[in-house]
Amino acid sequence: MAPRALDTLPPRIADAAVPGPDQLRDLYRMLTNVRQLDTSAVAWQRQGLIPGYAPMLGQEAAQVGAGFGVDKARDFAFPTYREMGVAYTLGVNMVEYMSTHKAIWHGGLYDPVATHFAPFQAVVGGSVLHAVGWAHGQTLNGQTLNSSSTAGLGVALAFLGDGASSQGDVHEAMNFAAILTAPVVFFVQNNGWAISVPTEQQVAGGSVAARGAGYGMPAVRVDGNDVLAVLDATRRAAAHARAGLGPVVVEAMTYRRGPHSTSDDPGRYRTLDDEKIDGGEDPLSRFRAALLERGMADAAFFAEADAQAQARADEIRDGVVDLTSRPGSEMFDFVFQESTPTLGAQARQWREESEHV
Amino acid sequence: MAEISFPLPDLGEGLLEATVLEWLVKVGDQVERNQPFVEVETTKSSVELPSPIAGIVLTLHGEPGDVVLVDRPLITFAVADDSAGIVGTVPQEAAPKRRVRLSVVLDED
Amino acid sequence: MSETLELVRETPLLQLSMQQAINRALGEILEHDDRALIFGEDVGVLGGVFRVTDGLQQRFGANRVFDTPLAESGILGTAIGLAMAGFHPIPEVQFDGFAYPAVNQIITQLARMNYRSRGRLPMPVTLRVPSFGGIRAPEHHGESLESLFAHVPGLKVVSPSNPQQAYHLLKHAASMPDPVIFMEPKARYWNKAAVDLADDQDSISLEGSVIARPGKHATLVAWGAMVSRCLQVAELAAEDGIELEVLDLRWLKPIDEAGLAASVSRTRRAIVVHEGPHTAGLGAEVAALVSQSCFDTLRAPVERVTGFDVPYPSGDLEDEYIPNIDRILFGVQRVLEYRRG
Repeated sequence: MAPRALDTLPPRIADAAVPGPDQLRDLYRMLTNVRQLDTSAVAWQRQGLIPGYAPMLGQEAAQVGAGFGVDKARDFAFPTYREMGVAYTLGVNMVEYMSTHKAIWHGGLYDPVATHFAPFQAVVGGSVLHAVGWAHGQTLNGQTLNSSSTAGLGVALAFLGDGASSQGDVHEAMNFAAILTAPVVFFVQNNGWAISVPTEQQVAGGSVAARGAGYGMPAVRVDGNDVLAVLDATRRAAAHARAGLGPVVVEAMTYRRGPHSTSDDPGRYRTLDDEKIDGGEDPLSRFRAALLERGMADAAFFAEADAQAQARADEIRDGVVDLTSRPGSEMFDFVFQESTPTLGAQARQWREESEHV
Repeated sequence: MAEISFPLPDLGEGLLEATVLEWLVKVGDQVERNQPFVEVETTKSSVELPSPIAGIVLTLHGEPGDVVLVDRPLITFAVADDSAGIVGTVPQEAAPKRRVRLSVVLDED
Repeated sequence: MSETLELVRETPLLQLSMQQAINRALGEILEHDDRALIFGEDVGVLGGVFRVTDGLQQRFGANRVFDTPLAESGILGTAIGLAMAGFHPIPEVQFDGFAYPAVNQIITQLARMNYRSRGRLPMPVTLRVPSFGGIRAPEHHGESLESLFAHVPGLKVVSPSNPQQAYHLLKHAASMPDPVIFMEPKARYWNKAAVDLADDQDSISLEGSVIARPGKHATLVAWGAMVSRCLQVAELAAEDGIELEVLDLRWLKPIDEAGLAASVSRTRRAIVVHEGPHTAGLGAEVAALVSQSCFDTLRAPVERVTGFDVPYPSGDLEDEYIPNIDRILFGVQRVLEYRRG
């Protein structure tokens, strides 16, 4: 089923150039790396290395395209728990990222301030409002520093899915963002499924992007399996927000080809035939074909990219294996910036009575 | 303190004026809500008007026998600034009341 | 150069209501901290439904003091994002009962962001909540949320009992790098009292509890609007020859365990008084702390005089619900006449 077209973004604002050959090959490498790492993480779970993982198989183009479309230096991503591809594209250390899936620390060990990638969490839609607040902060900073006219604003990239679009917080976020003219790109990956519930039972009206109109917000519905289309939509949306023109919804139509999580059994709610038909063409092989057709890559390049991705995934695996538990004292260390006597007493008691002295 | 004025309401259907018969309060009086403060006569009847708020009378706009026009000020009150929020009331400070008396023999060590 | 310099400190002593004291504190916070922001429903143009933010938007502009759409979760979620961007948000939830729609953001996000981010994303957010009952307001305008929020790791909770404390505790809370729920007892908004604006006085403690009235026969432990009621009770008890100490707990998380223990170990009896429902109310925590710290000296089990396990009642019945003088006196009597069996 081809996604219905929707594009209410005003004509293109002066923008980064169309990706050249090197960038296209970079994009391919990223897609390959992300695919390899995602597949590996599922294997790690089967090997007992990590207790669980939320696969993003099939969403590589949507995530790499979105991550590639923003400015790592000044934009900020607010991910869900299924944004490994965005994290990778933004340069987050993947061992530190995977640490949360190894049950080392909620939110992972990466530094959200340095990476501009918020610690992810499990309340669906929970971080979308944070993106709005952060973005409004950029507006206020711009006004204080009187620099908004020259440099443009940092843009918040709020990630959500078709399932999250049902949450009241997502409505509040979109309404707040539009009222505040906040520089937010609501990047919706409509992957067809919220665990076992299909989009048609989730999204009244059938399109999250269509809701943009209700907020007076431009929206783009894009083929989420076409990395170049996603990249273009993200760049256009970010440029719009950056210029101080307010938020944008990008709805990337994609498909969750794997289970919701490594402990999910999609066979209970969809058939393999369904997956084949609804999943459409694999985003990775599709981009590979496009590069071949344009003569921008050859078999040797692909072989090298695949080998590199395999080596990279192995390297990350080694890092994940080596990850050790955090000291139990950290349970107490990070509750507050300024701890309390009560908590201090509990920490002392824990230290005295447990083996983790 | 803030000042709040109340105009003469239309006491009938399309009446334009009324005549002050008698002020039931004087300047400086504390008036409670719904307390009658004036008797006026219209072409249809004479009525007592209840105060819409509690406050201290600042000005009586007119002497007995004067004609007051509808929608023109009739009385002005001084009211406390610390009015309640958008809902609820300001709790009244009253002298504490009790029924219970403490009665114990304290056998302190 | 200073041998002739005489330091004459001005200690302005003003008669302010709590509403005015908080307004004044907010103005000073905005003046001295250019990262501080005030926002919420009707806080800007209107100046708040209790006029607590009156005049602040005119003074500091609509960037620093702004009205939000009517959505409490949105207010809290936006505050979290602003804190991530380096601001010091002071959002208002208009009434206690309307904090419930924001509870998800408060508990799952605000309280945990510092922890989740391993201290990299502190949440210096002071959430002002007009709280508790006593003003004959509609449903959801008389709730006591302290035990709910005190139970949440990562939050600090404080409730002032008079204008002086409101002024200083709010400024203190807003300077803290952690989220603080600031519960304003709305029944006390209008009572005027002397406020000493000087920050550097030894007499103004910002941490822990304070003894609002010393006594020796039993300690009444209270916070918010119940402190003034307990002071009335102590006054009446004195007529009967009983000297009650009133301990204003102030910080409900963390509770001043040392101050609580010090008071009760002297008086050897404790009655905790709060408006919130009885079961799992904060009084249970106070009773547990007292039994742990003062078990050997306690002359009677800790008594709890509280609201009941019923939804907060309509205005006509709220005097039946909120601990009144007699119910507190009954509690005192039970504690005083208790003898070990």
